[in-house]
Amino acid sequence: MTVQQVVPAVESVSLEAALDRVVASPSLAPFADEVIGFCADFSRAIFKDSEAAHYPELQALAFWMRKAELVRLRDAFLEERRAGALLAPQGVAFHIPPANVDTIFVYSWLLSVLAGNRNVVRLSHRVSPQTEILCRLFNAVLQSAPALASSTLMLRYGHEREITEAISARADIRVIWGGDASVNAIRAIPLPPHARELTFPDRYSFAVLRASSYLEAADRRPIAEQFFNDTFWFDQMACSSPRLVFWEGSADGAATASADFLNLLQQHAIRKQYETTPATRMARFTFACAEAMGAAASSYQDFGQFAVLGLDRYDQLTRDHCGGGLLFQYRIAALEELLPFVSRRDQTLTYFGFDRSELAAFAARLNGRGLDRLVPVGQALNFNRFWDGNDLLLSFLRYVYIA
Amino acid sequence: MEFEQLLALRQFSLPQADKEAQLTPLLNGLTAWHRERCPEYARLLEVIYPGYFEAQRVAEVPFLPVGLFKTHRLKSIPEEEVFKTLTSSGTTGQQVSQIVLDRETARRQTAALSRIMTHVLGPDRLPMILIESASLVQDRRRFSARAAGVLGMATFGRQHFYALDEQMQLDGEGLRAFLDKFGGGPFLIFGFTFMVWQYFYSRLAGTGLDLSNGILIHSGGWKKLQELSITNAEFRRRLADEFGLTRVYNFYGMVEQVGSVYLEGEDGFLYPPNFADVIIRDPLTFAEQPIGQPGLIQVVSVLPLSYPGHSILTEDLGVVDGIDTSICGRSGKRFSVIGRVPKAELRGCSDVHAVQAATAPPAGIEART
Repeated sequence: MTVQQVVPAVESVSLEAALDRVVASPSLAPFADEVIGFCADFSRAIFKDSEAAHYPELQALAFWMRKAELVRLRDAFLEERRAGALLAPQGVAFHIPPANVDTIFVYSWLLSVLAGNRNVVRLSHRVSPQTEILCRLFNAVLQSAPALASSTLMLRYGHEREITEAISARADIRVIWGGDASVNAIRAIPLPPHARELTFPDRYSFAVLRASSYLEAADRRPIAEQFFNDTFWFDQMACSSPRLVFWEGSADGAATASADFLNLLQQHAIRKQYETTPATRMARFTFACAEAMGAAASSYQDFGQFAVLGLDRYDQLTRDHCGGGLLFQYRIAALEELLPFVSRRDQTLTYFGFDRSELAAFAARLNGRGLDRLVPVGQALNFNRFWDGNDLLLSFLRYVYIA
Repeated sequence: MEFEQLLALRQFSLPQADKEAQLTPLLNGLTAWHRERCPEYARLLEVIYPGYFEAQRVAEVPFLPVGLFKTHRLKSIPEEEVFKTLTSSGTTGQQVSQIVLDRETARRQTAALSRIMTHVLGPDRLPMILIESASLVQDRRRFSARAAGVLGMATFGRQHFYALDEQMQLDGEGLRAFLDKFGGGPFLIFGFTFMVWQYFYSRLAGTGLDLSNGILIHSGGWKKLQELSITNAEFRRRLADEFGLTRVYNFYGMVEQVGSVYLEGEDGFLYPPNFADVIIRDPLTFAEQPIGQPGLIQVVSVLPLSYPGHSILTEDLGVVDGIDTSICGRSGKRFSVIGRVPKAELRGCSDVHAVQAATAPPAGIEART
């Protein structure tokens, strides 16, 4: 079968031959110098590229992949070593990133390659400038890294089941990003019995803001600005972007804080010239109307770039969402009121005005029922090795026990 | 003036100020009617339009986004009064609109459509050419919204001649026979815009066919013709030049407001009938646009009693080109439809497959009949 190869070089290749090449090439040692060197070079190449400069998500990726960060990861890896056991790569990793976030395939690949794995990445036919830039730079840097060139394969294909089947049959670990439907569709395709699978299904995220702390803050603008970044960078479609804001506090305090916050948020959105498309705007209005009819929402305020649906109760919330700048809002008297609300689907809680110890106690009481990340406002989108309840770095490794 | 009077009045005859004065109380009445009978609608008004009491102008009537009819079967009648449910056509996997009709609303729709069509066709049924395959309406298993649209129009004709076969090939012999028999007097041609162009005009161009007694009524949107860079003006010019076909009427309408048909005038603009109107809104703020500024088309109609669809914000883009300034003797707004709102490009780690479904191409010529 012929497939479109994108990395290590753009050309049509035989799928079988390309897979044979990757499978036959040796795994590198975890955090081998050659890999760290390559990643650091790739990071520099992104920083230096004039086209890449237009895309903040590429800059964030390059920042995340710079030498100092890689060394930190290596130190974290060294800490995971246990007496009597050796950390080794899983083998061949098959990554299926979402079609619509342009940088996830690099993050997924990066943690895997640092662990020493050989990698096969499926890219969708949705070609974006960001993906094009990344693949171009990747191939250029790959010229001087032959061991990585032979153990890396990125293919562009649609939903051809035979291709996914052929790659899966050779994989030791499969990573599926991109939501429930993707996970369900691809999970039906068998893996070798020993292979592991990491899945990233649809998630829901929300913010909890303490009204009294908010109102006491000397400068409230940065809070709204951080929240704006969390929420609007990916048009509120990132799984970790908040869709619901809980105000913790008295009714009066929450109302005052909310009015001030939404006003600052609107000012910042205007300053940032944040614009949604008419289609997104329409989808948002349609969603708001449906929620209003469904008795989940009790008030509606349109701020232009975003809209707010007030809730009188949250037990009927479906967690469906339209993205594009729609925020639910609900007041709670205390954080523990959220205990019955949190479900397995909840991923990120962004907070303001809470101590780490309060949140740790809250997470302990949840005891894993939901929420994989509790991070301060402004860090919702910060990717790291702990994601969706996994330590990605350890997931790409295995322990070899030596007695 | 009540609906029946607006209907009886010569269509397209109300100057905009009169129309505003007539429609506003009727639409207010419908808002109150549906608020009383459709709990979801009442709840929506309460939340989305808090403090809303009554519109002073047509543009103040609350509107529902058209997409709601895809996710909700909204009705203002008890289930036992449901006479039929209309559905829009759509590609597989796409959600379709569900419009619930009782006998009275269905009757109003039929009466309204008839008033509009007879405005250009005259009172008599005319011999009729349909740019369709007869199998479209014969095969009940595949009975589609498109077929329903064709059958609806077929009632305005007689001696129906289906000009295409199942492979979309033109039956030239049958066409000649039809024209030999009826071509000397007025006859009706109906088809979807793209099909008229692709399977009729394109096949017959250069043959010197005489269709000068014909009246063409067509609908279905310009998406495919835009891809071929054929504008409405070009479409009309070519039909006139090739076949002497000068009475050409496009119309704009949708399953969510059947019967409220916006028919083209001789000047090439679309006109709302007496009992309906359009408002163009800014696609981002939903504020009413001035003349000449394109935006989302909101349609209002006094027909719907059985479902709260008297004021709908569509996902179509259009522009009001003028008000009470028609050169073809019509009053009120004249407008053009520009196309659909481009599909959203969703970002973020939402579901890959859902995104693909959401961005699937629309049903094309069948979508907006």
